[in-house]
Amino acid sequence: MTLGSGGSSVVVPRNFRLLEELERGEKGIGDGTVSYGMDDGDDIYMRSWTGTIIGPHNTVHEGRIYQLKLFCDKDYPEKPPSVRFHSRINMTCVNHETGVVEPKKFGLLANWQREYTMEDILTQLKKEMAAPHNRKLVQPPEGGLFD
Amino acid sequence: MANSNLPRRIIKETQRLLSEPAPGISASPSEDNMRYFNVMILGPTQSPYEGGVFKLELFLPEEYPMAAPKVRFLTKIYHPNIDKLGRICLDILKDKWSPALQIRTVLLSIQALLSAPNPDDPLSENIAKHWKTNEAEAVETAKEWTRLYASGA
Repeated sequence: MTLGSGGSSVVVPRNFRLLEELERGEKGIGDGTVSYGMDDGDDIYMRSWTGTIIGPHNTVHEGRIYQLKLFCDKDYPEKPPSVRFHSRINMTCVNHETGVVEPKKFGLLANWQREYTMEDILTQLKKEMAAPHNRKLVQPPEGGLFD
Repeated sequence: MANSNLPRRIIKETQRLLSEPAPGISASPSEDNMRYFNVMILGPTQSPYEGGVFKLELFLPEEYPMAAPKVRFLTKIYHPNIDKLGRICLDILKDKWSPALQIRTVLLSIQALLSAPNPDDPLSENIAKHWKTNEAEAVETAKEWTRLYASGA
């Protein structure tokens, strides 16, 4: 993060960090297979976000579009956001009833660091979909939602 | 602590902001992050924001003063150059920034922007349109929002 900057450690406060993430999300990320945006344009504290992941090639998820909800509380980014799938999915790190991504089973959340972003979470979840223990798991019918 | 290597320039500016505050403006650094300021700007007299107390936040990025401070309103405000998230459209915060400017000049410019809304360079299209088509009514809305959201209570 600030390696090589003479030992200074500039901490970007929560709100400005989220504004940066918002702008980055609006510009569009990489190849477009992960994206995110804010749910409520009036929420000055920028808490609720919707993320989207397009299922990676050569997996059971290929061609599917997954929606997730991310919630950044007042203590973000010191603490990770809470993350849950809105679209039904069968994945080892996702609770089968609620869609919640369980930190204990998803290293990025369990070993959260302040410089991690929502983009990192979505990108890592996409990689996780293609991991050997997930890529062939039987999936619920497309279009279903967690309650 | 995150403040051990705070540049001298920032320390100087902060001291002056605290000892000689500009009229109608207060800015104080947060206890745990000396680059992060809590700011209050009083609505200028004879503007639709008169009587309002507006809360803002300001952050000096690592590149400061080579890059502009980041500032936004936390108090809701009806103004053509300020959007729903409190982001401000002001040239000196973007391409017109110069390291010769300071936190103080930035805050004075924001205060001046409250006196002179500029609907020709809008950030909120709807508000700017309102301002251009019916200025009197837009000013009334701005006054009402000031009463509703910036009463300082």
